[in-house]
Order: sequence, then structure tokens, then C-alpha cells
Amino acid sequence: MSDLSKIPIHTEKHAPEEARTNPLAGVFDELVRFAQSRSMYMLHYCTGCGAIELPPAMTSRFDMERLGIQPMVTPRQADILLVTGYVSVKTLKRIILTYEQMPSPKYVIGICSCTVNGGMYWQSYATAKKLSEYLPVDLYIAGCMPRPEAVIEGMRALMANIQSGETEPWKDYYQRYDYYLGNQQHLFGDNWQTPTDVIGQAQHYGLAGPETEGEHTRILQQYQQPLVAHKLRLK
Amino acid sequence: MRPENYQAQSHPPSNEYELFIGPNHPGIEGNYAFKLKLHGDVVLAGKADGGYLHRGFEKLMEGRLWIQNIALVPRICVPDPVPMEVTYSMAVEDLCGLEVPERAQWLRVLQLELSRIAAHLFTFGGHAATTGMYTTSYWGIADRDLILDLFEALTGGRVYHIFNIPGGTRRDVPPGFLEQVSQTLDYLESRLPDYDNLLFTNQVFITRAKDVGAMTQEQALEWGVTGPNLRATGLAFDVRRDDPYLVYEQLEFDVPTEAAGDAWARAMVRRAELKQSFRILRQVIERLPSIGGPVRAPIPNPLAWNVPAGETYARVESSKGELAYYAVSNGGDKPYRVHVRGPSSMHAVQVLEWLAEGARLEDVAQIMFSLDACPPEVDR
Repeated sequence: MSDLSKIPIHTEKHAPEEARTNPLAGVFDELVRFAQSRSMYMLHYCTGCGAIELPPAMTSRFDMERLGIQPMVTPRQADILLVTGYVSVKTLKRIILTYEQMPSPKYVIGICSCTVNGGMYWQSYATAKKLSEYLPVDLYIAGCMPRPEAVIEGMRALMANIQSGETEPWKDYYQRYDYYLGNQQHLFGDNWQTPTDVIGQAQHYGLAGPETEGEHTRILQQYQQPLVAHKLRLK
Repeated sequence: MRPENYQAQSHPPSNEYELFIGPNHPGIEGNYAFKLKLHGDVVLAGKADGGYLHRGFEKLMEGRLWIQNIALVPRICVPDPVPMEVTYSMAVEDLCGLEVPERAQWLRVLQLELSRIAAHLFTFGGHAATTGMYTTSYWGIADRDLILDLFEALTGGRVYHIFNIPGGTRRDVPPGFLEQVSQTLDYLESRLPDYDNLLFTNQVFITRAKDVGAMTQEQALEWGVTGPNLRATGLAFDVRRDDPYLVYEQLEFDVPTEAAGDAWARAMVRRAELKQSFRILRQVIERLPSIGGPVRAPIPNPLAWNVPAGETYARVESSKGELAYYAVSNGGDKPYRVHVRGPSSMHAVQVLEWLAEGARLEDVAQIMFSLDACPPEVDR
């Protein structure tokens, strides 16, 4: 990350919002939010058993596409990260890497009981119990596993949230990065690093708050090492 | 002129590169990863990278009561959960010497075959999608939902049923259920010609799938391949026929085989098995009303159930291959050790690595789906 931090990104904050005089400004915002809520790409990442109810929800019978929701193969083009079920520690690292790659605004939906409180793997040594400790979660769909109707109902709730502009938990990840990073370090060890410069992004977009940096981000800097390509381990 | 301290360094050829597929990739079945070393688009070597779905099942089961584990086991293989419940129950029954009522055995066969149809329809969809034909996956998954509706009517759950317990099943069939099964079978059978037109006689699919990921019978036996993948190499081995459990002795069915051992042969074996499952289910529908009696043997208080000490090995034929449970009891109310022999552990790791060698990049996903590997069962 130290390498990345040398790349000159624009660290000055965006100019403070000017007073908007156009009488259609409010209508325009509403239109944008409407369009955003009606064209969502969810990342094609089956992290657990709940993924088995997504094909029925997406295909002919329940047909999620009529709500404007389609699977997308790359995180760079996706809006929704579905965490479908239990997350093992190894998966959680990939989920965090994926989440940080996604462009804002981004939404996280925790499907199944396991993302809420560990579910039936509450005593497992291999799973992370509460997803919201590591990522800002927009919505939980509880159940083991939730039916396709429940998944679609959850999607509709998310659409309503986006359209009303009420909830924006993705900003919370920037504003309270220290909290999330602390939990991640607690699980993965102090030398946990991601290639995304979250603090730089937060400063760039003017989302940095008093809790963006703290004791945990100082540990991050302490362990920073230049990114090196790993050697091929195949024979 | 080179400087005096020049030392030649060996670099890999620039046309060889490494590619990571998964865990976040549509060509991978579930949460699983695969590292490939490629020359152009030919795979030189592959390395499976699992562990994303590890929950420590075998350890969790040691900490729960024998009856509590019934809720845990179906989660091991998500697309085909019924064989998990049945095999675990069979293992516990064997340890306790419990005799399962005949009606419960027929009910278990009914569920096992329904689950096999659902899993195969799901696999067709995935296999077709990896060759670029998404219609089959849309239709197959919608038709699989009809089976899930049947499960919902029978057990109350679509995917996880927790319906089989040691000693039998929880309940009897609801009224009108067998007619519902019969109608669904009629419909699914009438759909088979559509699937043939879409997929199995489709020249695109045949060209893509033939000679891809082929293995010989000797290789398959050496690598521990079981189930439809083994039968696609020409060996007619089926646990249902060769080591009968439940009431499979009383049922008539064939063990379909193919000789080629490639992805196409594996798909065709599954298609033929679909017809055999229809045949078995029709016999079950015919016979079940004439078999009376309870559906559950009396079991002791499940919360204080000390299973006699001993060890056992129970196996069934799941849609993926041979599934077995090795259970050890030391006389306590919790298992001392339970080991799950999942068929996908072999298919998704070693077999996939060997079959990927020499394959083309675009066929790697197809090989994985044609092996019908189930990542949660690999990682457990």
C-alpha cells in the first residue's frame, strides 16, 4: 500500500456544495435515485448455501430481472454484494477485497441467519459470526434459507431505500473505517492489508470523519509493505 | 559486451502465465477456486484451492447430540441434501440396532429419487450454461422448482427438509401427495424431448462436450471416481444395485452406462438416470399405498439418547456419487467421531486437476460442472 500511496491521487476535498438554485434540482435527484434503484447489478459470488435459492430467484419462475436486477461477473461493475450464508474466515478476506473494489454507491445484503449471528455454525471455529462487524450491511434477509420470495422482497426493500435516499451505509465504511479495520485485524491478524487505499478514498470523496483513522489504521501503516508479485507456486 | 558480474537469469517464457479462476467467478460451481498455468489457452497445470466453505462439520458434530446433528448434515451438500440425512440416519440406526418400518423405507426412497432428479436438473443447467446455452439452465432450474414444491408439501421445507430422523421419517405423506408426484413426473417426462432438442442432441453441445475431460475406466477407478462419472467410463457400478439399502432390492431399474468417459458421456448418463428415477418413483407411487404401518420406530428420549458403543459405515448412492458416513460412538449422547466420505472430495480436487491438464481454458468450467462437483461437500 505504501506503493499505492505514492501515486498522486487528488487528496483535496471536493468543493463544498453550492446552493442549488435550479427549481428542478430536487426532481433531478429523485429521478437519479429512481434510475439507480431500477438498474442494479448484483455480484455473482456464491459465498454459502443461500446461493442455492438465487438461481430460482433469478430464472424463469421468480424472475428477478423484471425488477431490473441482474447478476454481474466483476466487482468493478456491480452494485450489490450478496453475502449468501456463512462466511468462513478465508471467504471473508475475499469478501472484503471484493467489497473494497466495488464502486460507490454499493450495497451489502446479508442473506441467511448465518450472516446475522452465526446461525447454526455458532460454535464453529472456522466462520465469522456477525457480518456487520466487518462490513456495513444494508439489509439482512433472515431464514435458513430464505425463500426466493423473501429474497425478492428484500430486494424490493433495498430498492425502496435507495429511492428514498434514506440509508447509505456504504458511507459508514469510510466514516468509521477504524472500527471495521479493527475487527478485521482482530480476526485476520495485525498484518492484514488490502490493496485498496480506503483512507485515501475517504479523503478524496470528502467522506473522512473523526473515526476514519485511529489506533487500528496506525497498525495498518506499521505493517505496510510494498506490493510484490508472489512467485508461481505451480510446478 | 556483458559486464563481468553478469549472471543469466532464467525467466519463465513470456507466453506462459498464471490465471486464477474463482472464488468469485461464474464459471466455478459455488465458492471454490482454481489456479491455472496456461500456455496460450491450453492449460499446463491446475491447482484446486478449496477451503472457502469450511465450517468444520466433523468437529461440530462431536459437540452436538445425535438427534441435533440431523439438522446439521443436510448443509454438507446443498443441491442434494436428502442423501445426507438418510445416510446419517442409517448409520445411527445401525449403531443402535433400530429396525426402520417398511413404510419409512419407501418414503426415504421417494425422497432420495426426487432429490436425485432435482440435483440432475440443476447440473444440466450449470453444464449447459458453461457451453453458452442459458435456456437449458433457465428451464432446468424452473422445472427443479416443481420438485422443491413437492418437498415443501411433504416436509415443509424447500431445500433443507430435516425430515428423516434415526428410526424413520417425521411424518407420513399428506393426502393427495402421491397424485401430485405423479402429475409432476408426467410433466417432467413430457419435458425430456424439449431438453433433448435444446441440449442433448444439439450439435453445439455435442461438439463442445465430446472428448473434453475424458478419463479411462482404469484412471477413474484409481482416482476414486464414483457415481455417474464412473458409469460414464463404462463400469456399471451403482450402490443401489450392488450393495442395496432400504428397499432398492424390490425395485426394478437399470444402471445406465456410457463408454466414452468424457463430459458428453457424463451428461448422457445423468439424462438416462433421470428416466430411471422416474421409473423408480412410479413403482414407489404404485406400492406405497399398499404398505401400512408406522413411519417411525419408537426411539428413546432423543435428548438423553446414549447410542451403544461401536462403529459403523453406511453408504448410499447420491446424485454425485457414493456418499458414506463413518460414525463412532463411545456410548455417549454425542458422536465420538463422524467422518463424511463425500464423492466430490475426489471429483473436485484431484480428478479436476488431472482432467484440466491439457484442456483448453474455456473447457475448465465445463469439466467442473460435468463432474458435478459440490464445493460445500469438498470443504465440509
